[in-house]
Amino acid sequence: MFSGAFRERLAGSWVEIRENLGRSTLQTLGVILGVASVLGGFSISDSQRRRSDERWMKLGGMDRLNVQPSEAIRDGQPTALQAANLGLRNEDASEGSDLDAKAVSGVMQQKFARARVRSPYADQDRQLTGIGGDYMALNGYAIEKGRAFASEDFENGRPVAILGAEAAATFFPTGDAVGQTVRLGDIPVTIIGTFTEKIFRWRDGQGNQFAWRNRIVAVPSTLVATRMQGDRWQRVDRVAFRIRDLGAMKKFSEGLAAILRGNHRQQEDFRIDDIAARIRKRQSQGDVYNMIFMLSGVLSLIGGGMVNVNIQMATLKERVREVGVKMAIGASGREVFKEFMTEALLLTGLGALAGFAGGIAFSKIITSFLQIKLYMQPSSFAWAFVLAAAFGFLFALYPAWKASRLSPMEALRYE
Amino acid sequence: MRSIIETRGLTKVFGSNGTAVHALRGIDLTVTAGEFVALVGPSGSGKSTLMAIIGCLDSPTGGSYALDGTSVEGLSGAALARIRNEKIGFIFQSYNLLPKASIARNVELPLLYAGIGRKERRKRALELLEKVGIPEKANVLPGVLSGGQRQRVAIARALANKPALLLADEPTGALDSKTGEEVLALFKELHKQGNSVVLVTHDPHIASLAERRVELRDGLIVSDVSEKQAA
Repeated sequence: MFSGAFRERLAGSWVEIRENLGRSTLQTLGVILGVASVLGGFSISDSQRRRSDERWMKLGGMDRLNVQPSEAIRDGQPTALQAANLGLRNEDASEGSDLDAKAVSGVMQQKFARARVRSPYADQDRQLTGIGGDYMALNGYAIEKGRAFASEDFENGRPVAILGAEAAATFFPTGDAVGQTVRLGDIPVTIIGTFTEKIFRWRDGQGNQFAWRNRIVAVPSTLVATRMQGDRWQRVDRVAFRIRDLGAMKKFSEGLAAILRGNHRQQEDFRIDDIAARIRKRQSQGDVYNMIFMLSGVLSLIGGGMVNVNIQMATLKERVREVGVKMAIGASGREVFKEFMTEALLLTGLGALAGFAGGIAFSKIITSFLQIKLYMQPSSFAWAFVLAAAFGFLFALYPAWKASRLSPMEALRYE
Repeated sequence: MRSIIETRGLTKVFGSNGTAVHALRGIDLTVTAGEFVALVGPSGSGKSTLMAIIGCLDSPTGGSYALDGTSVEGLSGAALARIRNEKIGFIFQSYNLLPKASIARNVELPLLYAGIGRKERRKRALELLEKVGIPEKANVLPGVLSGGQRQRVAIARALANKPALLLADEPTGALDSKTGEEVLALFKELHKQGNSVVLVTHDPHIASLAERRVELRDGLIVSDVSEKQAA
């Protein structure tokens, strides 16, 4: 090594490969296909998974942990504790977000009510959505005109409302909803803003999956609780937390369950999303494909490796004399072994690089065909390379060992 | 005098009982440092087998062999490779240069296996090519050289590690008589400089150049004549 022997072996291997380009290409074919298949396969399934993640986000979010009230009384008469229970309320939301301020990047409450909504142009029975906290951010609503609710609106339950695009068009078809007044039941409420229209389609030309979200008539949840339902406990229909890190979410949901049980007199009258199931679902998505692609990669590496062994054994016949000469001038079997291994591994390395190019091209073509954005991870490259190197090494062993075991005398006499 | 080769009762049997071929039947040979010995005999006499054993390319079936004072019996393949590398310089009839390596790299190869650094290798290789009279060919491939030049490269390679023994197997066998003479003159020159040379040949003329002739027949030494004795 210190005498530059490795460098010499590398240089010698390079000469050997360059001089026998056709044969060398044939030898690397298995590696190229194997690496391309593993890298391409992984990348395609990663791209697919990423797209499905993005859709999840749009449809409600991977990062949202929902808490809903649930029926605690299974059968028979409720116990005193159950009867006196208060249900899900604002307090649960605030204590929950205090539990792990670092992990929680948003919290919202939601409380529904039904009321007759009347404007100068329309008079309909509608669901009202009482919102609180970071509802807009967590549900992907943005203000188009006017303003969002201010903290005083929430605190005091002020009679203000924001309309979804469809609701605004229904109640104020002339387009000047902001500043107008509608009556929600008996309460006159001022429109302070409208939401941007929400659109989501699975494919171009299909219906808008989010049409119902544009029907929203949003008011502060405190307004619903105090003025419409007279609930001094400020119960809510849903609490949700935004937690970006799926790993932290599991721990958080356990802590949250403990707090809520404490708040709810040990009654399981709430339901928290099953995070474990969500993580399982996310991970199993694509795992199957990864396995299949890895298998096909491994199979082509094995097939290519066997072809490689064959070629190596055939060329060894041509090179017996060369080995004999080297041994006569002092190369040990070990040295011959190293030379053969160096050549095979250099070939594998070059094949892997070509395979990377192939894999990138392959996944680009497929993803553009599927119309999804290509997303490649360094770990896919690493996997492909490690597999190729492992099989390259394994299949190089036998020919190199054979060469190293030649008798110098017989090798020299070989014609 | 230091003995370079010392064999006692050397035998070599190829094959097993029924089809056994006794190539060597008991060779006692001593070559001292600085000698120029021609090993002669018809084909099948066992001279190539003897050369292979002397060159540590093969091991004897029986008897003992010491090279430059070191017994080589029972040595591992790696140890034998080391001895070949350090003590023996081979010169073959068919040159046996590596066709894809430059002349300089060919000459460097024994130095590489001896673990000598790059710069030193290159320096020594150029010196050796100078010594055999073709310094200008360092960077060409063997294919472009004439037979005589190739054999000079092979001799330079054989000399690389300053071996105790130069072992040449029909070194002029593939050359025309004029170039053959030139190569033989080079051998005489090397001998004069103090190298021990063993030359295997079937050509009595070439053998006559050596100061000592050892003749083999059917695996036995049948004559061993020194010029000084004959004179």
